[in-house]
Amino acid sequence: MGFLSYAGRRAVHTAVTLVLLLVFMFVLFRLIPGDPTTLLLGTGELTPEAQQRLRAQWGLDQSMLEQFITYGRNLLSGELGLSFYYRRPVTEVIAPMLVNTLMLMLPVVVLAIGLGIAIGTWLGWRRGERVEELGAVLVLVPRALPVFWTGIVFLSLFAYKLQWFPIGGIRETFFYPESWYQFIPYYDVLRHLVLPVATGVLASMADPLMIMRTSLIEVRDEEFMVLARARGLSTRSLQRLARRSAFLPVLTYSAIMVGFAFGGQVLLEVVFTWPGMGRLMVNSVTQRDYPVAQAAFFLMAAVVIVLNFAVDLVYGWLDPRIRYE
Amino acid sequence: MSDASSALPHAPAFDGRIRARTRSIVDFLKIAFESWSGAFGISILALIVVVAAFSPWITPYDPIANHFNAAGQLKRLEPPSAAHWLGTTYYGLDVLSQLIDGSRIVLIVGITCASFIAIIGTNVGLIAGYCGGRVDAVLMRITGLAFGIPFIPFAVVLVALLGPSLWNMILTISLLMWRTTARVIRSQVLSLRERAFVKAAKIAGASDVRIIYVHIFPNVLPMTLLYVAFDIAWAVLAEASISFLGFGDPNQVSWGQMLYLAYVSGSIRQAWWWTIPPGLGLSLFVISVFLVGRQYEKLASPRLR
Repeated sequence: MGFLSYAGRRAVHTAVTLVLLLVFMFVLFRLIPGDPTTLLLGTGELTPEAQQRLRAQWGLDQSMLEQFITYGRNLLSGELGLSFYYRRPVTEVIAPMLVNTLMLMLPVVVLAIGLGIAIGTWLGWRRGERVEELGAVLVLVPRALPVFWTGIVFLSLFAYKLQWFPIGGIRETFFYPESWYQFIPYYDVLRHLVLPVATGVLASMADPLMIMRTSLIEVRDEEFMVLARARGLSTRSLQRLARRSAFLPVLTYSAIMVGFAFGGQVLLEVVFTWPGMGRLMVNSVTQRDYPVAQAAFFLMAAVVIVLNFAVDLVYGWLDPRIRYE
Repeated sequence: MSDASSALPHAPAFDGRIRARTRSIVDFLKIAFESWSGAFGISILALIVVVAAFSPWITPYDPIANHFNAAGQLKRLEPPSAAHWLGTTYYGLDVLSQLIDGSRIVLIVGITCASFIAIIGTNVGLIAGYCGGRVDAVLMRITGLAFGIPFIPFAVVLVALLGPSLWNMILTISLLMWRTTARVIRSQVLSLRERAFVKAAKIAGASDVRIIYVHIFPNVLPMTLLYVAFDIAWAVLAEASISFLGFGDPNQVSWGQMLYLAYVSGSIRQAWWWTIPPGLGLSLFVISVFLVGRQYEKLASPRLR
């Protein structure tokens, strides 16, 4: 099967999944008692005529199918409506939060995968040694810690007790550099990033690490590795060779990981009062600001689905065998 | 939180190996004790089960009773003492009693969610894998959607819509987490259905339903159990996360809710006796499940041994 037909089939799958997501959300957010007219202005504040007019304006008097099509078109084109709480377009509310979320998430994902590959290679290479046996058990520990609890422990230790880092937020309201190193660009934001990033990396490092280890153990005994060893390559080169071949499963996993990072991000942002999308979403659900909650939810799910597609493409490109499955 | 799937290769020989080793329940349990880490895990799990089972009798105080000192003031954030081994909360509650009471939620959530996940995931996997074609395509798209939905945001929205209660949380967790089991079981079934015994059953005139549940299902059961074991851990973490965000059942003491209250009351600054125990309990539970599961996972793929 050629790469293009593989890509085409994957694209169809992705499109179907996205439509399913829209259907799912359409149903989910209509489970809210009452329609948006009663929700927006509270009961009794609107005359029946005004309510009727609004319903017509929002298309709530149309058939379910027509409503769904409008709904899907609006979401996909970024017409996300007005926030009940902030009284501003949802896009305006979400955009800065999205930037903040990415600022926290990118270093977490990059560091977690990087460290995971490094430690995973190291452990896999020492297969059968005592240190590996112990290491395989130890890596389960950070995986088992609830991320919000790690955050709380870090906060009480490093922020409250030792006062090395701020207790939360993204920057000080007023920040005046006092020593030379505080003039480093974005010093204030970087200082706020340390604890949440460390917590996030600790939580999400274990999975790429274990996959890398398993994959490396499998690659280590392949014929091309035996040949390379016979040719007398240095341990360093051998490791590099093995790492390159063992990397594919980690790559597939990285898409799933970004998805989990979005989910785990919510907890991270809440613990460290980081003004990102996850925290916005929790707050908007509490404030019954459903347009914002809905948009944030859609954005997170869509990113995961599209990323999965991207990874499928890269994978199919790198490993032609996968196209025939 | 994540699914355990990725680290697990699928071994068709798993079933045979498990069966050869397990002529009785005792044999099956012995596997867990084959390494110090497995023995540690199973001891911790046993301890939590015992504590949860006897919790009404061993809590030193009523877990939701406020305590007052001799002067009639609320005992706010008192460090551990002879009267309160793990101190008191901001609201004057006994931390140890809350900790013991909260262990029940761990078991309830773990066992119920894992059962629901097993039922949904195994059935989806069996039907998709066996029927193939259009049925498979539809079921796998739905599974793909379940993989695309970020768990915590989904849980937050759903619990907010349905109202915060233990059962709504269990429902929410089960509604999404069956995805891993479904995928794994499907891939197992894909290879099983080509085996001779399935063809023989078909020729003998067995119905599809009979083939799926009588002939194929017993062969994927060990794999289902292994995944369910890991799902217990993820479900417990999920419940704790939802509770920590404040969407938990307000009428039940749970470890996640203890951490939520410690956090929102601003007590994490000093009250380590309030924040450490529930977090440690959660971590120990989850890691014990991993350690025990790992012992059985080794049977599934000897290369990992």
